[in-house]
Amino acid sequence: MDDRETMGIIESILFVSGDPVSLKDIAKVLEIDVRIARKLMERMIDTFNFERRGLQIIKVNDSYQLATRPEFSEYIQKYIGPEQKQTLSQAALETLSIIAYRQPITRGDIESIRGVKCEYALNILSERGLIKEVGRLEAPGRPILYGTTDLFLKSFGLSSIKDLPPITEEDLA
Amino acid sequence: MAYSVKLANFEGPLDLLLHLVSKSRVKIEDISIAEITEQYLDYLEKMKKFDIEIASEFLVMAATLLYMKSQLLVPKPSEPVDTEEIDPQQELILKLTEYKKYKKASEYLRQREETYSGIYYKLPEEIINEESSKTLFTGVTSQQLLKALLKILSKRPLVKKEKEITHELRKDSISVYQRIKQLEAIFYEKEQCSFYELFNDQYTKTDIVVTFLALLEMLKNNDVEAYQQNPFDDIIIRRRKVSNG
Repeated sequence: MDDRETMGIIESILFVSGDPVSLKDIAKVLEIDVRIARKLMERMIDTFNFERRGLQIIKVNDSYQLATRPEFSEYIQKYIGPEQKQTLSQAALETLSIIAYRQPITRGDIESIRGVKCEYALNILSERGLIKEVGRLEAPGRPILYGTTDLFLKSFGLSSIKDLPPITEEDLA
Repeated sequence: MAYSVKLANFEGPLDLLLHLVSKSRVKIEDISIAEITEQYLDYLEKMKKFDIEIASEFLVMAATLLYMKSQLLVPKPSEPVDTEEIDPQQELILKLTEYKKYKKASEYLRQREETYSGIYYKLPEEIINEESSKTLFTGVTSQQLLKALLKILSKRPLVKKEKEITHELRKDSISVYQRIKQLEAIFYEKEQCSFYELFNDQYTKTDIVVTFLALLEMLKNNDVEAYQQNPFDDIIIRRRKVSNG
């Protein structure tokens, strides 16, 4: 089996899955080494981008998924008709960014940074599947620790949490 | 709600403070507490007209600011007092810096959200899995199927009885409604009963169908509940507790 064929198989698996497919599963199906699979995936992503295909392969935490390109969204939206886009409120976004940078973090800590209650924002973010409980702090009351989800990474076009740009001091001037 | 109209831009006292600081175009470290306090109180004054409930959250900050301002006005003792104590102004500056950091980050996320909300994914293919549809009838062999059939047949030679009906052309021996009444009587005495037990020696195919329909009706009305361990097994019917009437 040559690489072209292998990549074709991977493409069809990604199509059938729809959801993200883990590198481990890809390697298992093809009976190849995970490292080789990773290399192939990188090549596929490059090929898709180079050929300016309508679909792209996005990578989220070592899983891969077929997706449309943001630059075509205008046409896709025209095709599917008006759609209620629900953007996050400022409060929710601030809460989300604190969680993204400081996770795992308790509600108390988020509230002390923002100086305002965050219960509602946390509920919204949980409902949207952007954050989740990742554990409990070993402290009085065992408060819930929050962290971001893979859906968060996907929704913001990040491959992993490390992709978040560091907040530099110059930004704050 | 007044809050959302007037204060949409300010999520809490820190947000307002940050806004005032940036409006005066100075670094956070250089804020003049006196000046900011004036502006802050001005804003609160306007806000009070709208919603005192919400304004109360901002009042704590106002009090803190006033406290800091008063400290600045009072002449300081020559030697520094307790150096261990954290300077409230310094603490406020720290808080503001920290808050600004995440406010900045949220702007970044906002942009990315805008870009990446235009990406579409497809749902997984719906694949009819042959294997899983087979498993619907696991553990049932053709032998068991035959046994179930024989069980019914052995109760009474059905064929003979049917022959009689074919030329008799009589009315349905019993209606579903009548059968329900009968079954109700049975379940009045017994708490549970198996499907086969519902038939005496004399029964026809119609009786089985009518009984089955009657049971379905009773199940629908929640009068009884039914269990079947395996397909083609005997059905156990149990009376449900009657709460009233």
